[in-house]
Order: sequence, then structure tokens, then C-alpha cells
Amino acid sequence: MLKKQFLSFLVTVILIGSIFSGCGTGSDTPNSPAAENQESSSTEAETPIASSMEPIILRMWGGVPPESGPQATIDLFNETFADRGIQAEYERFVNDDTGNLKLETSLMAGNDVDLYMSYGISQLQQRASGNMALDLTDLIARDGFDMFGTFSSMAEAYYIDGRPYSLPTKLDQYGIVLNKTMFDAAGIPIPSSWTVDEFREVAKQLTHGEGQDKVYGMFWNSQQEIGYVFGYISVQTLGGSPFYKAGGLEANINDPVNIRAVSLVNDMMNVDGSSPTHTDSVTQKLSQEAMFLTGKSAMTIGPWMVRSIKDKEQFPHDFETAFAPYPTAGDKNFTQGGYGDHLCLNPKSQNIDAAWELAKWYAQEGMLPVVAGGRVPSANTYNPDDVVSAFLSGAEDHIDAESAKNILIIPATNYAVPAYSNKLPEIDKKVNEELEAIFTGQKTVEEALNAANDFANQQLAG
Amino acid sequence: MKLSRQLKTDLTGYVFILPNIIGFLLFTLVPMVFSLIISFTDWNYTQGFGNIQWNGGVNFVEMWGDKWFTDSLINTIVFAVTVVPLTAVLALVLAVVIDRFCFARLPIRLAMFMPYISNVVAVAIVWVMMYSPWGPFTRMVQMVGVETPPQWLGDYTWALPAIIIMTIWSGLGYSVMIYTSSISSLPRDVYEAADIDGAGEVTKFFKLTVPFLSPTTFFLVITTFITSFQVFAPIQIMTRGGPGTSTHVLVYYIYTAAFNFYRMGYAASMSWILFVILFTITLVQWRGQKKWVSY
Repeated sequence: MLKKQFLSFLVTVILIGSIFSGCGTGSDTPNSPAAENQESSSTEAETPIASSMEPIILRMWGGVPPESGPQATIDLFNETFADRGIQAEYERFVNDDTGNLKLETSLMAGNDVDLYMSYGISQLQQRASGNMALDLTDLIARDGFDMFGTFSSMAEAYYIDGRPYSLPTKLDQYGIVLNKTMFDAAGIPIPSSWTVDEFREVAKQLTHGEGQDKVYGMFWNSQQEIGYVFGYISVQTLGGSPFYKAGGLEANINDPVNIRAVSLVNDMMNVDGSSPTHTDSVTQKLSQEAMFLTGKSAMTIGPWMVRSIKDKEQFPHDFETAFAPYPTAGDKNFTQGGYGDHLCLNPKSQNIDAAWELAKWYAQEGMLPVVAGGRVPSANTYNPDDVVSAFLSGAEDHIDAESAKNILIIPATNYAVPAYSNKLPEIDKKVNEELEAIFTGQKTVEEALNAANDFANQQLAG
Repeated sequence: MKLSRQLKTDLTGYVFILPNIIGFLLFTLVPMVFSLIISFTDWNYTQGFGNIQWNGGVNFVEMWGDKWFTDSLINTIVFAVTVVPLTAVLALVLAVVIDRFCFARLPIRLAMFMPYISNVVAVAIVWVMMYSPWGPFTRMVQMVGVETPPQWLGDYTWALPAIIIMTIWSGLGYSVMIYTSSISSLPRDVYEAADIDGAGEVTKFFKLTVPFLSPTTFFLVITTFITSFQVFAPIQIMTRGGPGTSTHVLVYYIYTAAFNFYRMGYAASMSWILFVILFTITLVQWRGQKKWVSY
């Protein structure tokens, strides 16, 4: 009897031990250089990727729900690559702090992920320097892949320390989303350029009603991201890093352009009442869907909810949506926009060559299904008309094709590309707190932005 | 080979506690020692172990000039100092009331215990709705006659109290449960003697029940102090430390420093400060119990 118990105990110990040793081997690899990994796998996969054997199954992680395009893209890939012995699966992570932490943990722990999306340059930088993203230099050279020809020379702005760690698959070019039916009714033409003052006037004109029936001119969606105004308005004058002076060693948060841009939001929330206040947004958890698509606001900050605009079943509405460029708070030196959806390879993947095939195919051919969900491809391998019709598919009658094409799809040449990210998480946090203080009436715009600027300078000096 | 009987007994004992010891070593002791070491370093954990840079005690000095840290510390202390006594007093009164003057004690106790065993995330999300401008909390305040009710979670002054109210509500059931079980084991004869002497309910409560229950109170105060210093989930879900720094608490900032700023060393040093604070408080309470706890 005792013996039996002891035996089962022993088994338990061994089992537990094996779990730990599993962890151990996993954490041995992280320090091995990426190049080594890559070499070993490239030799075994030199022969056009193992067709007689079991197919390689790639795991791709992305932040977009599978049903909004990625699954269709992956299905298409599986069809196209079936005879080459590569198959893929899509896994969604939620693109927030927690979701990204989950992704990074998986990347650091081992090879559960073959390729994945990074959203934003600071994430990309973090992952490149942490050996969570593969340096693509060798693969690009081996295949003679033309980075700047396929995308544009702007791709270089997303290199980390001069090296490519991702394919920048998506064009992030946005604009103000507006209710064309309301504009037409008010006799306001859809602007092709406007200043913040003109914008404020238009928003005022479109605001009417009281209480529950009030229609606002604009919804800033500040509960989701309080600092949109920097990324979409300031950048057009100051360039992609509006928090930094040239060189990146000094803060520029209290630049007159930033002050003007933040004042615009503050005045519209708290003086004109032409947009819901920040407190209302937070305490009522307002969303673009709940405000714009129900006709409670005539404009909103960005077209990320194109999916919802097209989905008339879930979000019934009977107006036409159009797009306009962001208003400017100074000279228009840049166009808001850049690359997004940075497709990275996991250096610890066992199937780097196959993953690289998927990455190239995704960027150059596979994106039409995700275009329908609002993601415009950045590679020039697509026919613009195909992109426009995929973008509008199913919503031809209630999205204005002309402005969608001009504002969101046709690429510009002078994008505001972020240049600096030193201490950005800390600075972002401080700026957000100061914006809260402004929008809730605790501080004036100048006081708050000066405070944020002093803080940022301290951080940058330290 | 023949082992002495003593050694054999000892070994058997060790073998029995071995699974637990392994778990303790791997998941508690080693991480603790490691965190103490990295608290003296600057370490971006995403860049691997090679990136650990010794910086002496700089972290422990820097934090006192870091407004996020000092604000978090103050908020945490305010939080604990309100939650702990309020929970204890409310729980004691409720436990006595339920025990003495209530029908259907069991369902009531069960109902009070529900929030404690419910998922914190679910509870927090429900409370976000409770505090919304259309929620029952705001409506109640309006019914009492307040013209402009506070914006609760969106309000610099009211966000922390709002979370304190929720925390007390969700922890109350546990304390009541502990108190009622202690009350049921109180010696009846002493109460009968008090009755004969003509003591009223209030006198009995203060002269008998409170002192009799002091060991329970002591236990509850220590444990709720520790848990309220570690509050995190409701903050993360309901306010993310905002507005401003008004609900920024220590554990939330430790999390932010580690996973948003990627400063693992700094975060570790703050958690050691948290440990020192908790240890000191517990020690003081332990010493102080001679004054007010009667066994």
C-alpha cells in the first residue's frame, strides 16, 4: 500500500520535473543569435519546401478578428500553397497592453508563433532589440526582394538601427470621417483642405439639439485614445514625432502647433459644446459606432470602424459616409500617414523560410480580403481599382467612393513618419494625464503642455 | 545499508513535503531572490539576461522623486487606511446584527458572501455600469437631492472613493463570514451572567462581544491590510489609474513600470519597498496586539 503511494508520488515528481525541464530548454535558445537559427533552417528547406513530407504548418498572430479578413486571406494562402507543402493558421491576439504582453511572452518563451503583426514603431523597436523579430536583411538579399520598389523609400523609416525587421504591409492613411448626408443638408461642401478654425466652425454649424437628442458636430473618441490630436493634426505641420525637437533629445510638446491643436479639442468640448466632453466619453464609454453610426455626431476622428460602417445589419444607418483630410494647425508640411501592420518573423521559428514565403505573399498578393475590412495595402503590386472596389464592397451605396479613394487609398509622397521614440512610453503617459487635466478643466492648455514638456525634458536628460 | 530509525523518519518526512518545497523554491524563493538582485539593476527584460546592468541603489533613490511613485504610495495608503477599518467595523456590526436579530441567517450570509467569490473582473465591469451617469449610483445621489452628482470614475475627487466603496462591498461578505463563525463559538454563560447583571445589548456588544472577538479582528485587519495594499484588478479595469493619478496605486505602477516602460529593475525595487511597508505594518500590529487583543 505504502509502496503504491510512494510510486504515484514518484511519478508526480517526475512529471512536475519534466514540465520544468520543458521550460528550461525553451529558455536556453533565446540568446542564440538569430542568424544561426536561420542558417540551419534554410539548409534543410533549400529544396522547394518539403512537399512529400507532412506540410509545414505556420502560425501567424494578428490583432484583427479572423472573420474580418485574415481568415479569408489565410484560406487563400492555404489553397495557393497546398502543393508546396506550406499551410498556415491564424490566431488573434487583442491589440492592447495585455494582448501584446501575451504575444511577447510567447515570442520569448519559444516557437509557438512563426510570424506576427506589430502595430506601431515603438512595438517594432522593442521587439527588434529584444530578439523577438528577425533581421530580414539576409532573406531580402537572398531573394533579391526589392523593399523600396515594392513599398516605397518610406519603408526605410521603419528600419530599426538601419536594418529591416518587418514588412510594412499596410498604408496608414486616414482622415476625418463625416456624415455626407448631414453636410449636404447643411449646405457645407466636403473640404479638400481646412484649418482647425474652419473645422471648428463647421462642427459648430452641425451641432444642434439638446439632451438625449443632441447631435454633435464632432466626436473625438477620446476615451479610446486621448492624444489622437497629436498623431493626426500636429504631425501635418511638425512631422511624425511632434513631441520631440529635431534630434530627439529635447521635448517639443509645448510647441505653438501642439497648443493650437489641443486647444481645438478643448474648445470644442468645453466652450462650443460641439463635441462630447472627455468625461462623457469615459463615463459613458462612448464609441465611434455609438456616436457616428447612430447619427449622434456628424464627424469622427478616424475610419478604423470601416467594418462597422459597412455592416448595416448590426449598425443600421441610412446616411452616406465620406472622408476629408485632417484639419491643419499650421503650414501643411506633411501628410498624415505612414506604414502600419508590420509583419515580423519570429527568430525562434523552426520554419523561417516558409514564414518568409507567407510574409512576402501576404504583403504583395494576399491582402485583398483584409482590404474589405478597411486595411489598405502598401505594396504597389495591387491594382488601385481592385483595392478601391474591395474597400467599398458591400457598401457601394453608402460610402462615397471618390473621397474614400482620394483620402484613404491613393498614396501621398510626403508622409509624417515618426523619427524618435526615446522614453516615449513615459512621455505618452504624462501627456495623457495632462490632457485629462485640460479637458476636465483643471489646467489651461499652456500650463498643462508646459508641465508635460518639462517632464519630458527631464526624462530625456536622465 | 541500514539507516538509523531517526534518519529514516526524517527522510520520510522530507519526502512528503518535497513537492511543496520544490514548488516553493521554484515559484517563490528563487523569484524573490532574483527580484531582490534585479532591484539593484537596470534591466529591460525583453533584451535578455545579458542586458542586466548593475546600478547600485539608484532605483531606491530615484523613486522618491518620481511623482507617479509618490502619488501611488499616497493613494495606496489612503485606500488601505479607509478600506481596512471600515470593512472591520461594518463586518462586525453586520455579523452581530445577523446573528442576533435576523431570520433566514444562512441565505443572507450566503448572499453577502457572493461578491467575494465572484470574479473580480466581472464585478468591476458591473460597477463601471453602476457608476455611469445613467447608473443606479448616480440616480440615487440625484434622488437624495444632489443637483450635479459626481462623475465617479471620471472625477478626480470621487474615483478613489468609488473604488473604495466597491472594494468594501466585495470584501465584506468574507469578514462577516469569519465574524459570524467566531460569534457562534462565544461562551453563552458569560452573556447570561451579563443578562442577570442587567446589561443592555449595547453594553454587551462593547464590553463582551468586541473584546471576545479581538483575535478575529486582529486576523482580519492584518489580512485585509495586506490585500488592500495589493489592490490591482479593479484599478486596471475601472480607471487605469486615472483620471490623472487619482487612482494610481502601487501595484498598478509596478505593473506599468515593468510592462509598459520595460523597466524591470525599477519595478522590482518598488515591489521591495511595498514588501518593507507591509512587513513593518504587520510587525507593528503583531507587537501592538498585546495592548488590545485578548485571547
